[in-house]
Amino acid sequence: MSTDIVNNAANSKTASTKTKNAAGEYLTFVLGDEQYGLEILKVQEIRGYDAVTQIANTPDFIKGVVNLRGKIVPIVDLRIKFHLGKVEYDEFTVVIILNLNGRVVGIVVDGVSDVMALKEDQIRDVPSLVSNIDTKYIVGLASVETQMFILVDIEQLMSSQEMALMDNVAVH
Amino acid sequence: MTIDMSQFYEVFFDEAEELLAEAERLLLGIDIENPDTEDLNAIFRAAHSIKGGAATFGFMDMTEITHVLENLLDKIRKHEMALTAEHVDAFLAAKDVLKMEVDGHRFATEVDQEQVADVKMMLKSLSEAGGLVNKPATSVSAPQTTPVVDEKKAAVPEVAAQVATQAADQVPADGLTHFHIFLPEISDKDATNLQEELGLLGEVASSKNEHGRYVLVLSTDSTQDDIVSICSFVLDPNDLVISLAPHTAAHVRPVIAEAKAVIVEDAGFGLFEDDVSDKPVLASTPVVADAGTKGKVAIHEEVGYGLFAIEGKENVEEGYGFFAPFKPHPDAAVATLIGDDTLTTEANSGKAEVAVKVEAEAATKTAAEAVERRNQGRRESDKAPASAETSSIRVGIEKVDQLINLVGELVITQAMIEQRISNLDPVQYEPLINSVGQLTRNTRDLQESVMSIRMMPMDFVFSRFPRMVRDLAAKLGKKVEFVTVGAATELDKGLIERIVDPLTHLVRNSVDHGIEMPAGRRAAGKSEVGTLTLSAAHKGGSIVIEVTDDGAGLNREKLLAKAKANGLTVSENMTDTEVFGLIFAPGFSTAEVVTDVSGRGVGMDVVKRNIAAMNGVVEIRSALGYGTTISISLPLTLAILDGMSVSLGNSIYVIPLNLIVETLQPRAEDIKTVTGEGRMVHVRGEYLPIIALHSLFNHHTDITDPTEGVLVLLESDGKKSALFVDRLVGQQQVVIKSLETNYRKVPGVSGATIMGDGGVALILDVSAIIQMGQTTNYLTGAFAFSHYANQAIPKELTK
Repeated sequence: MSTDIVNNAANSKTASTKTKNAAGEYLTFVLGDEQYGLEILKVQEIRGYDAVTQIANTPDFIKGVVNLRGKIVPIVDLRIKFHLGKVEYDEFTVVIILNLNGRVVGIVVDGVSDVMALKEDQIRDVPSLVSNIDTKYIVGLASVETQMFILVDIEQLMSSQEMALMDNVAVH
Repeated sequence: MTIDMSQFYEVFFDEAEELLAEAERLLLGIDIENPDTEDLNAIFRAAHSIKGGAATFGFMDMTEITHVLENLLDKIRKHEMALTAEHVDAFLAAKDVLKMEVDGHRFATEVDQEQVADVKMMLKSLSEAGGLVNKPATSVSAPQTTPVVDEKKAAVPEVAAQVATQAADQVPADGLTHFHIFLPEISDKDATNLQEELGLLGEVASSKNEHGRYVLVLSTDSTQDDIVSICSFVLDPNDLVISLAPHTAAHVRPVIAEAKAVIVEDAGFGLFEDDVSDKPVLASTPVVADAGTKGKVAIHEEVGYGLFAIEGKENVEEGYGFFAPFKPHPDAAVATLIGDDTLTTEANSGKAEVAVKVEAEAATKTAAEAVERRNQGRRESDKAPASAETSSIRVGIEKVDQLINLVGELVITQAMIEQRISNLDPVQYEPLINSVGQLTRNTRDLQESVMSIRMMPMDFVFSRFPRMVRDLAAKLGKKVEFVTVGAATELDKGLIERIVDPLTHLVRNSVDHGIEMPAGRRAAGKSEVGTLTLSAAHKGGSIVIEVTDDGAGLNREKLLAKAKANGLTVSENMTDTEVFGLIFAPGFSTAEVVTDVSGRGVGMDVVKRNIAAMNGVVEIRSALGYGTTISISLPLTLAILDGMSVSLGNSIYVIPLNLIVETLQPRAEDIKTVTGEGRMVHVRGEYLPIIALHSLFNHHTDITDPTEGVLVLLESDGKKSALFVDRLVGQQQVVIKSLETNYRKVPGVSGATIMGDGGVALILDVSAIIQMGQTTNYLTGAFAFSHYANQAIPKELTK
């Protein structure tokens, strides 16, 4: 598993400069005022926000763990992590359950909008700029009509050290 | 009373294979310049465990190799020797040889004795020379081999003597001694059993003499005592006559003429049994020749060299051993043995005659036949347990585990339904409530029966030990009576398998260090025979396994002195439990001499580690001069935990019940502070530190005064602390779920479980919490915690 992560890390480094192979279907979601997209194949399901069990001494964006049909699944609030949007938990709060290489993780977002197929020519390179999300986790930018979607390498992001979701994270 | 050890072989083989694979993995990954001590320790432990297991089952060939391997590893591990690439190569070669031997025992495949000897030599020379590899002369064939063969044909009188001495020389070459065991009248079945048992020690051949008695010829490296110990399972040792074959070898001189005839027959006709039956003195010669030849033929078959070439080679290769000095002084040997001969009684004639028979029979056999016979023996022994299994089925363990998991889910779901309907109007919904009640009962029954699939009696473990204790006691010259209590107690299969290693260590330790020598025991006013008791019993939700000896007991002063010498922090004020706990420290051994049995200081820390991994607790009780009891308390299964749920703010935490001593609501006057910070609670004359869970976990709660909440007194690793929580919620069995499957390890939390309402509750890791409590200061609690957590949480977060 850890070797997989290393491999992915190597891949994504090249991917962040060249947007090759980025074409595919993306689930788009909203964080604050921004539109994001992540590879649909990483998504296991989408559900509402349930009561979580807090875990001691974890960063604030790790909300805790929930019982997902007998599995203990950690929930990460990306709004807190990236300081985007108002952090409220109500019946409209959405959790995207991701399945990353067998590890199941939930992310809290402001809303899920659409699933769209993106062609390679719709995807642009990421300009170097300062953002909350390190550009190495961004695959590219997609423009569809007037909207811009930030395509995230969610697997790379979730297994990164700053997410602190795993014991042995690949050292770069 | 015969014990069919073969039913446990499979477990040992699996274990050994696993350990070998692990050792290989570590060896392959090792950095020669800068080896990881932990890896070296792991490899060492693997070798140690294999040695222990092999000794238990009497696979002496494996014990020998692992012992040499272990010696070398130990030196490297202690930095007495630097690791070199040669070492790693040697270790890998040793691993291959061990694997070959395991397969040899398991599938009766061929074992290349030459390779075994090579590796053994290589390890030995590495261990002695400190890195210098003296390649053993593997392919040197003795120059005088051809003359020997020629002589045999030509100078007849000389040949007999020479062959005999050669045979005698050969005996020690592979470290084997050839015993003739003359059995009293016993049934064929017993004889077969015995032969199988003795087969564990070495190569055994059986035959019947004219009185219908069995004579076994055993080639082994074990001592006569070992043989007697094994035989005494089946028959009275007093009826047993054992003679050492090589001794009789020298008898050849006085009867050279006759010997010639037999030696010639040795080539493979075996017709002379009647002719020589009345020549008792002569008879011994062919037996020796036979014993030697058997070895030769076997090797011959395997390697494909000529008969005598190999013999010569072996002489060159391992020219040491018991009988080697006889070679240059055959006359001296004769003199001694003639002296011996005069003592022989009438019975000798019978023996001798039988011996000839054995010879004649064996000589005609080719090595292939010998192998075939051994295989047959093994196949027969395999058949016995197979027939016992007709009433059971073999199912993959993962299927059973899946079933257990599913039932675990079902129990949770059922608990949820029960909770939902508890709010319903009992009159209006009576039928529903009744049905759910029935569902509850059925679910519980189902859970119990599913769990029982994995349950096995402790006998499975216990029955391994009588043999080991016997062998050990004989080796050490001690007298030990072995008693088991509660062998029918059932325990989860996973745990049973994992308890074997720790128990083996404990039993070996008790025999080696606990029970004194007979003289010492007499001097202490005790019976010469020590008692070693292995007991198992259910106690609450756990099983308690105890190893008790009535030996010398642990010496507190000696332990403290040793601990100081080892650089451990100790004080005179430590409680007995704490002092005894020192023996679990890595590398701690009070044995003055490192023996084959124990004393390296590996055993106990492995024991502790293994048991902690099973959520178990080890406890030592000892009284100097009266004995020691090591008590292991284990949960009945790994999947389910008996827990106490406690609340903290709006969360529920589960504490393993077996670690809770008591719970209490303290009075204000019992709460004391130390330097105004650390709080202590006074409980019946003891001051225990209070660990406030809410500050340890930075968890919000309204209850911050211990007098308003509840103190849960915890004990782990011999340390006690009072954990301050809000409320007790209740006691229940919980299904343990790993947090690490999808998340990572959290300090102070050992896992999670799903409660009746579908929510998640965290299970506290009591020993970690006690440890965290000690490093936490209440004014700077968070800092101390983050310091602890640093190991687990990446840097960015704790900056």
